[in-house]
Amino acid sequence: MNSVGEGCTDLKREYDQCFNRWFAEKFLKGDRSSDPCTEMFKKYQSCVQKAIKEKDIPIDGVEFMGPDKEKPDS
Amino acid sequence: MKIWTSEHIFNHPWETVTKAAMQKYPNPMNPSVVGVDVLDRSVDAQGRLHSKRLLSTDWGLPSIVKSFIGNTRTCTYIQEHSVVDPREKTLELQSANITFTNMVSVDERLIYRPHPDDPEKTVLTQEALISVKGVSLSSYLEGVMATTISTNAGKGREAMEWVIMKLNTEIEELAATARGTMRAPMAAAVTEK
Repeated sequence: MNSVGEGCTDLKREYDQCFNRWFAEKFLKGDRSSDPCTEMFKKYQSCVQKAIKEKDIPIDGVEFMGPDKEKPDS
Repeated sequence: MKIWTSEHIFNHPWETVTKAAMQKYPNPMNPSVVGVDVLDRSVDAQGRLHSKRLLSTDWGLPSIVKSFIGNTRTCTYIQEHSVVDPREKTLELQSANITFTNMVSVDERLIYRPHPDDPEKTVLTQEALISVKGVSLSSYLEGVMATTISTNAGKGREAMEWVIMKLNTEIEELAATARGTMRAPMAAAVTEK
């Protein structure tokens, strides 16, 4: 799967692979040790956050979780 | 405003379905999802994993809606928040479009939990809240959107089955490789005697 930032796809895949392994082999089995992918995630984030800003994707200010799901009518 | 709901039972245990749901894309049934990014991820004090993701899609709106709003942007973006509770065995996903929100909003909520009578099965409950704004034909368009969502929900389930099959095949291949690599030295050890 690709990243929204064309240049971030390799970093994303590397992180995904690390995460999916931890998720299946540790997290779902009740192992509470934290995931070993933090460094990869940081590198991937610095890339993808830049891409989001460049493409002007309105990530901030979106709140759709929680009991208060009402959105103001525009 | 229109509300759409549905329930589906997967003949796979919750862990299998959850693994597949976390890596659902890419799959051949949802070719419109062209990008998935994790923006935030953490485990809370209760041991639940929260993930915030950004989905980039080149679908999004039916062409009739596009013709109304003059859709020139090629991508529709969806933000998704998921919570996996490994103890309670629930996976909850909520998603909403973050572009074109002034025209239409689709808020979707999915919950995967083990079947109450059969741990080998998983129940998916799904609901969507659709609202088309500021268009005189909005109730008609909401109907169109509901039909589209219904079709896509079907595709989503097919996609999950496809991903589960793929994951199972990978595990079998891995096991076969492991057996293969074990077998050679074992056979060698036997013949040496």
